[in-house]
Amino acid sequence: MATPHFTVHQPATLEEALDLLGRHRASVKLLAGGTDLIMKLRAGATSADHLVSLNRVGGLNRINYQDEDGLVLGAGARISDVAAHPEVRKHYPALAHACSVMATTQIRNMGTVAGNLANAAPSADTAAPLLAYRGSVVLVERGGRRQVKLEEFFKGPGLTVLEPMEILEAIRVPVPPNRAGSCYLRLSARSQVDIAAVGVAGFLALDLDGCMMGVRLALASVAPTPVRCPEAEALLEGQRPDPQLLARAAVACVRAARPIDDVRATANYRRAMVQVLAGRVLQKSLAMAQGGAQ
Amino acid sequence: MKNPAIIGASIPRLDARQKVTGQALYTDDLTMPGMLHGAILRSPLPHARIKRIDVSKAKALAGVKDVITGQDTPQVKFGNWRLVPQSQDELPLAVDKVRFIGDEVAAVAALDKETALRAVALIEVEYEELPGYFNVEDATAEGAGLIHAESEGNVSLARKIKYGDLEAGFAQADYVREDTFRVHAVSHAYLEPCSSLAAPDEGGRVTLWTSTQVPYIVQCLLASTLGLPENHVRVIKLNTGGGFGGKMELRKWEFCAAFMALRTGRPVKFTLSRADELAFGRRRHGMTIRSKVGFSKNGLLLAKDFDVLLDGGAYNSMGPTATFLCGNFGAMLYRYPAYRYLGRHVYTNKPPAGAMRGFGAPQALFAAETQMNMAAHDLGIDPIDLRLMNAMETGDEIPEVATISSCGFKESLVKVREMSGWDVKRQEKRPGYGIGVGCYSFISGGVFNWFNTKYNFASAEVRVFEDGTAHLLTMATDIGQGSDTVLRQILAAELGIGVEKIRLTASDTAITPKADLGTWGSRVTLMAGNAVRQAAQKIKEMLIPVVFGHFDLNQIHDIAFEGDRVFSKARPDKGFGFGECVYKALKGRRGEPLTAFGAYTPRNKGLVSPAFSFGAQVAEVEVDRQTGLIQVKKMYTAHDCGVPINKMAVEGQLEGSIHMGLGYALMEDFVMKDGRTLNTTFLDYKIATALDMPPSESVEIDTYEPEGPFGAKEAGEGLVSPTAPAIAEAVFHATGYRCADLPITPPKVLQGLGRLKA
Repeated sequence: MATPHFTVHQPATLEEALDLLGRHRASVKLLAGGTDLIMKLRAGATSADHLVSLNRVGGLNRINYQDEDGLVLGAGARISDVAAHPEVRKHYPALAHACSVMATTQIRNMGTVAGNLANAAPSADTAAPLLAYRGSVVLVERGGRRQVKLEEFFKGPGLTVLEPMEILEAIRVPVPPNRAGSCYLRLSARSQVDIAAVGVAGFLALDLDGCMMGVRLALASVAPTPVRCPEAEALLEGQRPDPQLLARAAVACVRAARPIDDVRATANYRRAMVQVLAGRVLQKSLAMAQGGAQ
Repeated sequence: MKNPAIIGASIPRLDARQKVTGQALYTDDLTMPGMLHGAILRSPLPHARIKRIDVSKAKALAGVKDVITGQDTPQVKFGNWRLVPQSQDELPLAVDKVRFIGDEVAAVAALDKETALRAVALIEVEYEELPGYFNVEDATAEGAGLIHAESEGNVSLARKIKYGDLEAGFAQADYVREDTFRVHAVSHAYLEPCSSLAAPDEGGRVTLWTSTQVPYIVQCLLASTLGLPENHVRVIKLNTGGGFGGKMELRKWEFCAAFMALRTGRPVKFTLSRADELAFGRRRHGMTIRSKVGFSKNGLLLAKDFDVLLDGGAYNSMGPTATFLCGNFGAMLYRYPAYRYLGRHVYTNKPPAGAMRGFGAPQALFAAETQMNMAAHDLGIDPIDLRLMNAMETGDEIPEVATISSCGFKESLVKVREMSGWDVKRQEKRPGYGIGVGCYSFISGGVFNWFNTKYNFASAEVRVFEDGTAHLLTMATDIGQGSDTVLRQILAAELGIGVEKIRLTASDTAITPKADLGTWGSRVTLMAGNAVRQAAQKIKEMLIPVVFGHFDLNQIHDIAFEGDRVFSKARPDKGFGFGECVYKALKGRRGEPLTAFGAYTPRNKGLVSPAFSFGAQVAEVEVDRQTGLIQVKKMYTAHDCGVPINKMAVEGQLEGSIHMGLGYALMEDFVMKDGRTLNTTFLDYKIATALDMPPSESVEIDTYEPEGPFGAKEAGEGLVSPTAPAIAEAVFHATGYRCADLPITPPKVLQGLGRLKA
């Protein structure tokens, strides 16, 4: 394998980074960890003469939680730091779990959550829990910022709404309500150190009457992009939890999946596993919301 | 004469520090002034005739120093089975045909790797595509085209074994069952991708540094393919990052490096990528195994008929040996009064299958041990009891093949039953929990001289010096298994000096004594170990008279070599330091150095091996009955490797075997479509990681192998066989799903449970 040649720029500010993007617009890519990008460059799957690294941009590695605003993850926040962050573990356990089991230790130490989203792999482990938590991304370019809901961010495998001169600056997640539960489960051939063949994330809260509200279910690795399960969510919203209803919602999740056969699993197996994992995710989320064991 | 401080001790590898600190040199670390970088053009088609090759554009590219095709080479066919010349079916570069996706067609040497790769892309080849055959059934079907014109119906060779009265055995049987098992190809997945560097030497000679298990075999076959005398070719092995059978032949880039080094007058290096290794590299044979077995109603084995089709891929490679051994291991472990084996090695348009750890045994034993478990279930006999009833013992004879000179199989079964808590756990009814057993036997090196060497199978030269140190020279090949350490232990134990006192020179065909057939078939400890002992004993014969003479000892005294001293056992004060003794001997020889040669070749040891290992393994699993995922919770192993020379190395082999067996059983698989391998990274070719490893307990059964050095026999390969059948039986115990086609994947488990449509 031949080694690709490129120049890496290490700007200190977001302004500088945007300048560099503009200056090298003919052949430039953003680097936020590089655990996907460098592999693709080496394999010749993509190319760029210039890489603009976000690693040294001041303040971009922040992980910030406040009771009013919720969670903000800067584009430089490392996956392993997110996994270990006490507030993330407390308020967003499904995200913390995804960040602690995905990939390998080395990749988690280098890779960023923003990079995981911008890479837009159908199997992105952080996408499903962030969809379940109603996450959005802050995109910045010369002349302005915009905030995009995560469910509107992905366009296809490797494709997002990011414009060529735009930087994913941060991820924002709202504060979850009280009496909430959430969970992320994934399956792969190896028990650990593997890419997910199926991933399911769920979130639900209970109102004063014990009815489910704000239900969100999201799937990874079973469609061209990470997807939500609107039918299953609607089935549960406002309802009292009971095992049969949860089982029906798990079946409804299968209808949101559009899996393919590939080297990692057959579409058939993936569909069956969406149902199994969705059922378990709902049970665990409910138990957590009801104050049971996390 | 066992010295417990050395023999049986847990001595860390003498090269461990260099390796873990990154100081150890591997072939790809080498660079030389003027060195060129090689790249290979491979066939994009599984089966095609070559109509035309045009290398002009590649040659014209700046920086390209040489481009070769098959037409430029001497076109000498090669293969490891020199004894059967018609089995040698490979050319260093394709001439008329390509037979698998990846078949080597042309090679380039250029100033840098990028230029070499660019030049390869500029070579134009016109092919006439031929029908491809991707499984043994299609390749052997009536009317199938021939992949090699010389083969009969694409069967490259057949091996038969027959003893006892098969018909009578089955007629007498109360219980007969016939099953078909399918086992898949897997990768050696050695850590170091292949790398070779050749440099021209004076007088038209050439030196090759290469990552290999068999320096001597590479030397001989490289010489014949280049048309040079053997002595013109020097092969040197540096540190080698594993092989597992995947590096035991002459490889085409070794030829290309040497050939182009001679043509250009410059060093040429080839290093493969992981993707090359997974897409085009050697593999373990996939097999279709039909086995019919008969028992009496109380569980005695009466007859077995074992019919195997080996998926050999495009060339014979080490297939003949795998075909031979598969038949042997179809009827090992138990007493079979009657046995018939027919093994057929079939060409297909896929990367060639070669030797791989176990060499035909993992496949045969998956079928044989699974069938044993099936029979135990039907007969209502505990699987361990059924095995104990039929188990081989020391002194048993395999007709016309071997006599078992030591056998700790029954002891292994009894021990593994006890240590695993089998009798209680087997009754456990917890959903998803299962426990299963699998067993193995393996060879300690091969007896059959398929390479047709004129030399001894293993050799050693020992030199001793007046400073109390020694120098061991051997062609025995450490590829990571630790033989450099173990052979020094054997020499240290004989001479009574510390292992750190021994300098080792190994695996350099111009310096180390001829010959050693290399590392495969678990042969090194027994064969090279015996050669080292013999050389050491000759050295001792030179030193003993010095002690007798100097101290005027009565001839009834016995001389000990211990603690860096040579002395009378009865009168330890009568003796010298080892170095002083060498000094005195040297004086007596008027300066002639003390050097001795030792060798080993198995004689009168039947057809297969001088010694066999045995063992039993129990696996505990938990199966998620909704997802089909299998977790191996614990492994228990009791095994007979004779006297372990280095306990730590034996434990390492056991852990490595469980790791490889686990991958074979549960997750490793080549995903292929029309002859193309689709999973060519470790992301998608799934070997187990350290995090998948279950805890493990093991016990070595105390036996002594009379043919082995200090009673040792093999420990490196056999252990890879019991894991898959043990796990498969545990999965059956947990779920009722019986796997007859590896690997045991979650979808197969769910289909077996009726929870997923096929």
